[in-house]
Amino acid sequence: MKWLELLTVAGATLVAAVTVVVLYSLGVRLTAIAGDRQVTAPVWVRYLAYACFGLCGIAVLFGLYLIIPYFSG
Amino acid sequence: MVALVIALALFFDFTNGFHDTANAMATPIATGAIKPKTAVALAAVLNLVGAFLSTEVAKTVSGGIIREGADGVQITPDIIFAGLMGAILWNMVTWLKGLPSSSSHALFGGLIGAAIAGIGFNSVNLETLLQKVILPAVFAPVIAGVVAYICTRIAYALTSRHDPETGSKLTQKRGGFRTGQIFTSSLVALAHGTNDAQKTMGIITLVLIAAGTQSPGTGPQLWVIGACALAIAVGTYAGGWRIIRTMGAGLTEVKPAQGFAAESSTASAILASSHLGFALSTTQVASGSVIGSGMGRKGTTVRWGMVGRIALGWLFTLPAAGIVGALTALLVKTGVVGVVIAAVAGTGAVLYMFLVSRKSEVGHHNAVEVEEAGQAVRFAKKKALARARAKANNPKDSQQ
Repeated sequence: MKWLELLTVAGATLVAAVTVVVLYSLGVRLTAIAGDRQVTAPVWVRYLAYACFGLCGIAVLFGLYLIIPYFSG
Repeated sequence: MVALVIALALFFDFTNGFHDTANAMATPIATGAIKPKTAVALAAVLNLVGAFLSTEVAKTVSGGIIREGADGVQITPDIIFAGLMGAILWNMVTWLKGLPSSSSHALFGGLIGAAIAGIGFNSVNLETLLQKVILPAVFAPVIAGVVAYICTRIAYALTSRHDPETGSKLTQKRGGFRTGQIFTSSLVALAHGTNDAQKTMGIITLVLIAAGTQSPGTGPQLWVIGACALAIAVGTYAGGWRIIRTMGAGLTEVKPAQGFAAESSTASAILASSHLGFALSTTQVASGSVIGSGMGRKGTTVRWGMVGRIALGWLFTLPAAGIVGALTALLVKTGVVGVVIAAVAGTGAVLYMFLVSRKSEVGHHNAVEVEEAGQAVRFAKKKALARARAKANNPKDSQQ
């Protein structure tokens, strides 16, 4: 039986999905903070939010890079 | 015969496409992230692109389940014809019932049934069947469900906002997840293209090799790749609205953050599994994710009755497609007349189901009740509206 492969797939799925979700959620959260009217949040919060979205995008692209044989050989 | 099989294979590809649109696009349609028609168009384009990206899976399709090669049996176009017939009919039945079921399992089931009837029991490799079909079928929804559960929890934990002094809930501002859904669901559609169009390519290549027009051991030809990509894209665009309704609204009520988590898990699971060589069914992964994300959010209920119906459908997929495949194989064995009878009966059955479906039409207009569909990028105005409606519908959900 291919238990090891099964575990690898489960692990890879978990790591990939959690990475994307954590980064994106942080982005959403920080955007929310930056958008608050009453409390004036420092400017860097918004940039941090953009950074999170950016990192999330890069994580996805890296995943695609790993998977498409044309790039990874 | 070869031409007939290729046509049938392309039609299977088409049913595969519209059967599986739901996997990628049911959740964003349900949360109103993308308009239904835009969603299926997007999925169609991405399926087309995905089909060209990778042909790794095409080489391994059905490999090993039916003993091929020198010491095994010869797969003939007849067997493939019968197998495809079984797969297509089962796909149509499950579509009519609105059940998301695995197209690949239908294909395997049809081929196995055809091989048993056409050649005999020893033609099927039971150990490979267990390893490649049955075990993944059990684990795919479990893996995806657990990951989606965890992700949903994380997404809600990270974005839940409370006033530090009073502890009362602030505006949660989770609208950003709607935009995210556009990307994650696109990723699922792309993954589906890299996965499922390959199966048909594998089948057609198998037929061409069996007919002697292509040398063994070579990959799919360019026109085969093109035709399969196109067939699955057209099928996706046609949209299996019945299944979209089940996945988007039948299993659980989907909110943007949930949908985002579910789609991330689905995409990760499909891409990871197809890359690491432990093929999981797209449909089963997607259903598992939706259920898992439903369990992850407080205040949602998962409709277990529907889950049960879907699971039952999965149980029947292999045997049902197998029986049709076997019957067709027996018919085909009798010669040209049998082939004609099988083809006519198959076309008739497909037409009949299509006519039945017209009686209670489910289209893009009524698949999922979303009023604000397609306004994903305009958050400010809609927020108030959505909150008001959430409160009216269910006081518990006002946190959204």
